[in-house]
Amino acid sequence: MSDLVNVTIDGVQISVPKGTPIIEAAKQAGVLVPHYCYHPSLPSPAVCRMCLVEVEKAPKLVPACVTTVADGNVIHVNNDKSKRARESVLEFLLINHPLDCPICDQAGECELQDYTFQEGRAGTRYGDYAKRYNPVEDFGPDVLYVANRCILCTRCVRFMDNVAGDAVLNVSERGDRAFIGIDPDHKLDHPWAGNVVDLCPVGSLISKDFLHKARAWDLDKTASVCTGCTQGCNTMIDTRDDVVVRLRPRPNLDVNRHFICDEGRSDYRWMNRGDRIEAPLVREGGKLTPTDWTQALDRLGAAVKAARRVVILASGRASTESLGFVRRMVDGASVTAAIKVPLGAEAPLAGVPNLALRKERVPNLAGASLAGYGTDWSAALAAAKGADLVVVLDADLDDADVAALSGAAAVAVIGTVDDDRLAGSALILPATNMAEENGTYVNRDHRVQRYFQAKPAPGMARPAWWIAAEATHAARGLAAPATAADAFAALGAMIPALAGLTYSDLGHTGRVVTPNAAGAAR
Amino acid sequence: MTGSTHAHADAPHEPVFVGKVREQLDALFPKYPTKQACLLPALWMVQEARGWISPAAMAEVADVLGLTPAYVRGVATFYTMYHLHPVGRHFIQVCGTSPCHLCGSDDVLKAILKATGCGELGATSADGRFTVVEVECLGACGFATPILIDDDFHDSVTPERVAGILARYP
Repeated sequence: MSDLVNVTIDGVQISVPKGTPIIEAAKQAGVLVPHYCYHPSLPSPAVCRMCLVEVEKAPKLVPACVTTVADGNVIHVNNDKSKRARESVLEFLLINHPLDCPICDQAGECELQDYTFQEGRAGTRYGDYAKRYNPVEDFGPDVLYVANRCILCTRCVRFMDNVAGDAVLNVSERGDRAFIGIDPDHKLDHPWAGNVVDLCPVGSLISKDFLHKARAWDLDKTASVCTGCTQGCNTMIDTRDDVVVRLRPRPNLDVNRHFICDEGRSDYRWMNRGDRIEAPLVREGGKLTPTDWTQALDRLGAAVKAARRVVILASGRASTESLGFVRRMVDGASVTAAIKVPLGAEAPLAGVPNLALRKERVPNLAGASLAGYGTDWSAALAAAKGADLVVVLDADLDDADVAALSGAAAVAVIGTVDDDRLAGSALILPATNMAEENGTYVNRDHRVQRYFQAKPAPGMARPAWWIAAEATHAARGLAAPATAADAFAALGAMIPALAGLTYSDLGHTGRVVTPNAAGAAR
Repeated sequence: MTGSTHAHADAPHEPVFVGKVREQLDALFPKYPTKQACLLPALWMVQEARGWISPAAMAEVADVLGLTPAYVRGVATFYTMYHLHPVGRHFIQVCGTSPCHLCGSDDVLKAILKATGCGELGATSADGRFTVVEVECLGACGFATPILIDDDFHDSVTPERVAGILARYP
């Protein structure tokens, strides 16, 4: 056990690997060391002085972010000496802070606010002192810099320098005049620059997109997965009154560490679309008529049962559950199934291996491929001509795609957004979008990751897997799962790589599976 | 600063690190572990050659040393002795720390501002000859008031001596 050291932190004895910073060891002991400049995904400069803790027998307080544990250390995070140090640091930080929490976007999720509330001074000793003032600066496409709120932790500078590899920020001037400066010839327009907003522990770097949209305490947070590309970055969907107002990265050290790209961050407006299909529509006497699910599912079941040649045009944003059950629904027919894969430029984040905005801009390419969907969209469109039935699973169709549908005998749409161009379909069934359902995506490394329902579905919309499973039940009597968890557990029968896996196996960070395996990667 | 001779601030940047200056810098490289460590001397060379350090010059320094312009700017703005605006031909620093202040440095400063025609601290005289700033301790408390003109040190300056001293700096 020579590579483990025993330390005592606030009375808690733990063993941690040699070389662990005190701040991380404390985390394992269940003790939070207040800090600003330290961030697990960035190098530590020990500039904020907030994490000073007492180590017995050390001559003075040490910064917990850069001091590594030594065997036998007795560390005090919450004794008088350490607390007094933090109180003093907070007092310094607040000398020039404008205290404009009532109009600050960060209020409610601000570490300066939290720590000051916890252990700062109740009043100021600088009542008559004129605070230094700097104007708000426009740093880039989505970032504003409110210099007065800045505590100069330099997380943003280090992110741009060490992680993004686009060092356009610096600390300019010094002393109480210091501020975060930007190279005058550049903007903060790196494809991953938006992360500085999350990294900023105070309200100094703020998102223009989120500016004054919601107070932090009004937000409901739901764990999700980014739908922007095949990377599958873990995200948090923030909703206010059931409207998605912000996407933020959710830490997953194996996928995206603490970051998401700006394109993924801004890709949420479609979740809030109001022009939705809200009731099942079936063709009655040549006209689409709203009906109940029982009749709609019977119709879909009958259509599937009668069809010999079926084409599935699916969205790469559909869950693995939906893709699997829709594919199973048409088992027995001759099937061409494909998802549409929009392509874009790849934008890697230099400082994190295997992290990039990927070329393939769909989240579930690997899941679709496991479920038996190809990516040859034009071949699928060609097959649609003369098909008995085309099932459109929430695919983004352009005019040429819609035109290709006219060659099919019947079209059944399982969709989210109302589309006039599909008014000739036999069936239009309302499905939930990914923010309204529980499901899984499989990312490019075959990591199966869960996302959770963030807002209610509109009208009668149901998850596509439910629609397909119920229709299959109507057509062939196969049992239909009642919940997304049941649906996922049942996927193993359709997708061998997922056999034996359940939602609880996936946890919050997902599980990597072997694509060709007969059983789960256990 | 409210410098009045920003005329050449907009002129296109002529590279500093060519010929002799470049040789000077190259000679420094072996003395330091990294090129980055030569940043302060490199900025001094720019200031010596141009009188001040323009953003374009910072970009040149960054290029020469393999750094980013933002980093160079951060360093240049940190140190108060680098001029980030054009200054007069002669740069006058007047001590204003407590001992000198008690011995009348204020009067010396006023006399200098008047004699140079600068009018206010940090401003450059209309003829482009002088820029005057007040600095903290010049390290000659026993000889109040000391002033530093370019690299020349003058101690025991009184308002009466100002005109005579300035006359030596055309």
